[in-house]
Amino acid sequence: MVLEALEREGVEYIFGYPGGANLPIYQRLAGHPALKHILVRHEQGAAHMADGYARACGKPGVVFATSGPGALNLVTGLCTAYMDSVPMVAITGQVNSNQVGRDAFQESDVIGATSSVTKHSYLVTNIDQLPRVVHEAFHIATTGRPGPVLIDICKDVQMAEAERVTPERLEIPGYRLNGHVDLHDARIAAQALAGAERPVILAGHGVLLSHAEPELLKFAEKAGVPVGTTLLGIGAFPVDHPLSLHMTGFMGTGWNLKAVQNADVLMFVGMRVDDRVTARLADFAPNVKTFIHVDIDGSEMGKNVRPHIELVADARLALEAMASHVGQVHPGRGTWFAQIDAWREEHPLRYTRSNGHLQPQDVLVDMYRRCRSEAIVVADVGQNQIWAALWWNYDKPGLFINSGGAGTMGFALPAAIGAKFGRPDKAVWCVAGEGGFVMTSQELSVAVEHQLDIKIVLLNNFSLGMVRQFQDDFYGGVRSQVDLTHMPDFVKLAEAYGLPAVRVDKLSDVGPALDAAERTRGPFLIDFRIDPEANVYPIVPLGKSLNDFWEAPTK
Amino acid sequence: MIETQRPQTKPPSAPPSPEERVRVLSVLVEDGANTLSKVSGLIRRRGFHVRSISVGPSRQPGRSRMTLTVDAGHAEVDQVHKQLERLVEVVDVEDITGEAVHSRELVVAKVAASDVAGLVSRGARVLDAGPDGTTVEFAGEGKDVGEFISELMSHGVKDVARSGPVVMRRTA
Repeated sequence: MVLEALEREGVEYIFGYPGGANLPIYQRLAGHPALKHILVRHEQGAAHMADGYARACGKPGVVFATSGPGALNLVTGLCTAYMDSVPMVAITGQVNSNQVGRDAFQESDVIGATSSVTKHSYLVTNIDQLPRVVHEAFHIATTGRPGPVLIDICKDVQMAEAERVTPERLEIPGYRLNGHVDLHDARIAAQALAGAERPVILAGHGVLLSHAEPELLKFAEKAGVPVGTTLLGIGAFPVDHPLSLHMTGFMGTGWNLKAVQNADVLMFVGMRVDDRVTARLADFAPNVKTFIHVDIDGSEMGKNVRPHIELVADARLALEAMASHVGQVHPGRGTWFAQIDAWREEHPLRYTRSNGHLQPQDVLVDMYRRCRSEAIVVADVGQNQIWAALWWNYDKPGLFINSGGAGTMGFALPAAIGAKFGRPDKAVWCVAGEGGFVMTSQELSVAVEHQLDIKIVLLNNFSLGMVRQFQDDFYGGVRSQVDLTHMPDFVKLAEAYGLPAVRVDKLSDVGPALDAAERTRGPFLIDFRIDPEANVYPIVPLGKSLNDFWEAPTK
Repeated sequence: MIETQRPQTKPPSAPPSPEERVRVLSVLVEDGANTLSKVSGLIRRRGFHVRSISVGPSRQPGRSRMTLTVDAGHAEVDQVHKQLERLVEVVDVEDITGEAVHSRELVVAKVAASDVAGLVSRGARVLDAGPDGTTVEFAGEGKDVGEFISELMSHGVKDVARSGPVVMRRTA
């Protein structure tokens, strides 16, 4: 019943792990060859794989897990997808319906444990509910602001036989979809930006989710408005475009932050305006007279920054409407562009490379040269993530995947595996620090089992680098529990899993190692031993304003 | 100069007063095992505080009407409404704070006294009476209920059960 419902939804891959409470589903899997099941090594890995799959190909990721610990192991992965609005459907086994609430073996209140990290969830205690529930779950996961939906199915329901039922027409009265664009507001917003002296647009993940990149580019060019992106919005606007401000936020580029802090009209599109974007809220964008916010989720309006003009709508439709109402562009725009260019000159991205250590940026720049805006790069969380975000001029959407909202260490490897299943035509590079990597490294088995072409770039600095940097920069230099002195030999670890690997600790070996990775079919790991003191810059000190960003030392 | 709309609500620079933070919401929800827990979980997670909550069947089969009095806490006050609307279980949310409404709370109380004329004159109804005392009920607006409860003190109050308010827009 479950598997037939998944086939109806067009599911191709399931990332899962069997156990006592979902055995009936697994028993029937062989009878459904269209559903390809990927056996993971830990349920968290399944959730991140489904997440990476969904981010890479746009289709909802599907996860199976058993009751109790199996389902609870999904929580971090569900939260990661929820925070970043990724469509997923997780199907968990639950104990028999007459045992629910009796503390049966491997029973846990999965609905209760996951309610705050899912868009919606269902407990299915009756077979007749199942076709409707599965159909609704996929609808809710993939429409509006996407997100993960969980279906907890009692074991007796999995075994029940029912007439083959096709779900009736969807009717979910409490589920509202905002697509409609208020043309009046779109016109005022467009004219406010075009007519502004110092306008800025910040674009987030919502632009990518609604495939609004062409409309954003068209509007920005027509209205002459510089565009920055959030970390998750990378790819929404080509970084090599003259109007690009690159990444915003507390680790954004200096010229972006200068532009935001001096803007007079600022539009957010498809983003939440969270604390990582605003830094100290009271000092955020102090010169803005008109804030404009476009988002499909009305609850984002005024959650952090109160907009003067709200467009609760799909980003693509809103930008399309705005592009046809641009009107007169402010004559002083050239001065604004010149000012931004001056800031770009004054605050370039830079790093120190004179201390004899291998620098992470050297590795990434060489890696990206090979990616040529074609490969998918999946980053983990921490310094590696920000280096990977900043050191490439992403000019196409969908090529950079990372856990932005939840900041889940251990995301990269399983998400890269999922991304490769979703886009087998693309080269996939996984960039991770050694700290996050060991949190989910057991999924190397999956990469080897399926001989997935994933190149793992380990930026190994022998410490929890971002935490170490925060301690050095913002906590008086008191280092506490950041040294990863006893880690596995990653080359031997890779060999133990059955994939080739090399170690690199000097610049001259970077190219040959990346050559070897490119030449190798199947997974390949490079343990880059980088400068243990390498830091992420620019950075805004915790609790400070965007004006107060620190830059890399000049030498 | 381009004409722009005025902000639709007060900017965050003017923090709402404690009274403004309290919203009264009439919420129509789908009946379901998880509905109450979703609503209460959301309120907790977003840092709101419940002042009162009452739930009962609505006119529509399969749906209940919740009357919530919620303090928005440190969040923007309209977030209570907006976050509730995001729940799939929530069919409709109406913010009726400060609107012309009938608001009624019910009190059921046990008092030691057998002479409850003072309570009856305020509108209480005697539910039963025995050698150990009298049980009375009273319904009214929150303010009246508060006064009624003060009045109970002089009658040797033994126990009080009080509902949260249920609210309906005025007909006229």
